[in-house]
Amino acid sequence: MRDVYIIGTGIHPWMGFSEKVFADFAAVAVDGALKDANVEWKRIQAIMAGIFIYGGNAGHLSGQYLESIFGETGIPVVNVYNACATGSASLRMAYNSVAAGETDTALAFGADVSPKGFLTAKSDNAVQDRDVIRWKMGGLPNPIYWALECRKRMEKYDTTEEDLALVKVLMSEYGAKNPLARFKKTYTLEEVLKSAYVCDPLRLYEICPVSTGAAAVIVTADKELISKADKPVKINATTMGSAIYGDPTIRISALSCPSVPEAPMLSESYSASRQAYEKSGIGPEDIDVLELPDNSSWHYLVYLETCGFCKEGEADKMLRDGETKIGGKLPVNPSGGFSSHGEALSAQALWQVIECANQLRGRCGERQVANPKIAMAQTYGLMGNSGTTIMSL
Amino acid sequence: MENMANKVARIPNLVDWSTGEVRLMSAKCGSCNTYFFPKEHYQHRPGCSREGVENVLLPNKGKLASYTVQYYPCPAPFKTDNKITPYGIALVEFEKEKIQVTGIITDTDLKSLKIGMEMETTILEMFTNEEKQQVVTWAFRAVK
Repeated sequence: MRDVYIIGTGIHPWMGFSEKVFADFAAVAVDGALKDANVEWKRIQAIMAGIFIYGGNAGHLSGQYLESIFGETGIPVVNVYNACATGSASLRMAYNSVAAGETDTALAFGADVSPKGFLTAKSDNAVQDRDVIRWKMGGLPNPIYWALECRKRMEKYDTTEEDLALVKVLMSEYGAKNPLARFKKTYTLEEVLKSAYVCDPLRLYEICPVSTGAAAVIVTADKELISKADKPVKINATTMGSAIYGDPTIRISALSCPSVPEAPMLSESYSASRQAYEKSGIGPEDIDVLELPDNSSWHYLVYLETCGFCKEGEADKMLRDGETKIGGKLPVNPSGGFSSHGEALSAQALWQVIECANQLRGRCGERQVANPKIAMAQTYGLMGNSGTTIMSL
Repeated sequence: MENMANKVARIPNLVDWSTGEVRLMSAKCGSCNTYFFPKEHYQHRPGCSREGVENVLLPNKGKLASYTVQYYPCPAPFKTDNKITPYGIALVEFEKEKIQVTGIITDTDLKSLKIGMEMETTILEMFTNEEKQQVVTWAFRAVK
């Protein structure tokens, strides 16, 4: 396998609902990546596209729609969907194609236009689609799943409502310093604790909404392109994990879970991160900056444990002691996280990788972590989807 | 048990009241002994032969493993004739079957919820359909 580098990245800033079509957003991100990499469109030898599930034909064939905007060149265009880890899947395919020598330079991208209101079931077949039951009979919007796990955590460990609120305080401070974030208002602990419960113990400001956004990454093993790139970022490993039998987590869409654990909770992310550590020879102790999926404040805490940055039940202490702040032992989500962005399904994993690459390239202005050498982006998608990417300068 | 005539589950094959108790319709794998709910949503142990899956009913009673109170109405296609928000959601553990199942909490003071308390399976009337039937979902309530 060859060494693979990120040489160009592009983002369309995160925002709310838009009447514009998803390909317009994608084009902004891809244009940005091409300019950053200083690469002509014709040098792209494969497109790995994230599927935009609310976009019908255009969304399911997002790569073809994107290719036609920039000019069709006959290259392989593959479209992929892995829920909120879709970006991890597209990057992994681009990486594997280049690392294996199938292509020298490949593009991974994803773009999502937030649907108006809630995400709900997309079919009406209750036998094959478990989403139908949870929406029609279960009364189970996504945050309920996180609240059920958060309650279990609070019963088991000393996690408090102040801990959950503190996550938002920290994320809003960083989001305010990120020009690409959707939410730029800062919050005090009191303001967060006064916000309404959505599903207790989780409050309105402790849960991320859905957003519109696009992200694109160009990877290469072409020595000429690497040499003329501005601070190319090496991908040490980019992996994906699925769930493991006996995982006790009540997973979004599911109506049941095992009561006797035989695997770690969030086992898909346990699996993805451990694969990445093994492949790269880099461990959690080596990571200088981490982007994790803070869909809720609960995720922020549990992901530090799932990915091995501390033992189970110790994440609250890391947070309270300031270890996860910019300037702390392990800066977490200097971007402001999903809390400041919201979820744009097929784009968000790539956006996390781009934040990490930008940190390594020293491009993050007021939210810059001091001289990071190794960064990690961790994703989470419903129904057992996860990806981990470890990068270095 | 209340009169169950003229009641119909919104989606079939999930909840049963033919035995005189309200019970969830599960399936058990005869090879890996895993219980599934809903019964078609298989979750076999890796390497299992997947032979001998049979339909079983979960017990009527279990223990509260976790809960939350939802303060916003659940969006469509969820619907109820009466306002139920805020409503509780329980994760109820059936110990012998080694499975926890989610369900709406009904007929229970939400302030009294405590992990470990005994819960029983019941039904919640959602709405009246065009045939004048009461359309129901499964639910849990505190054992009195």
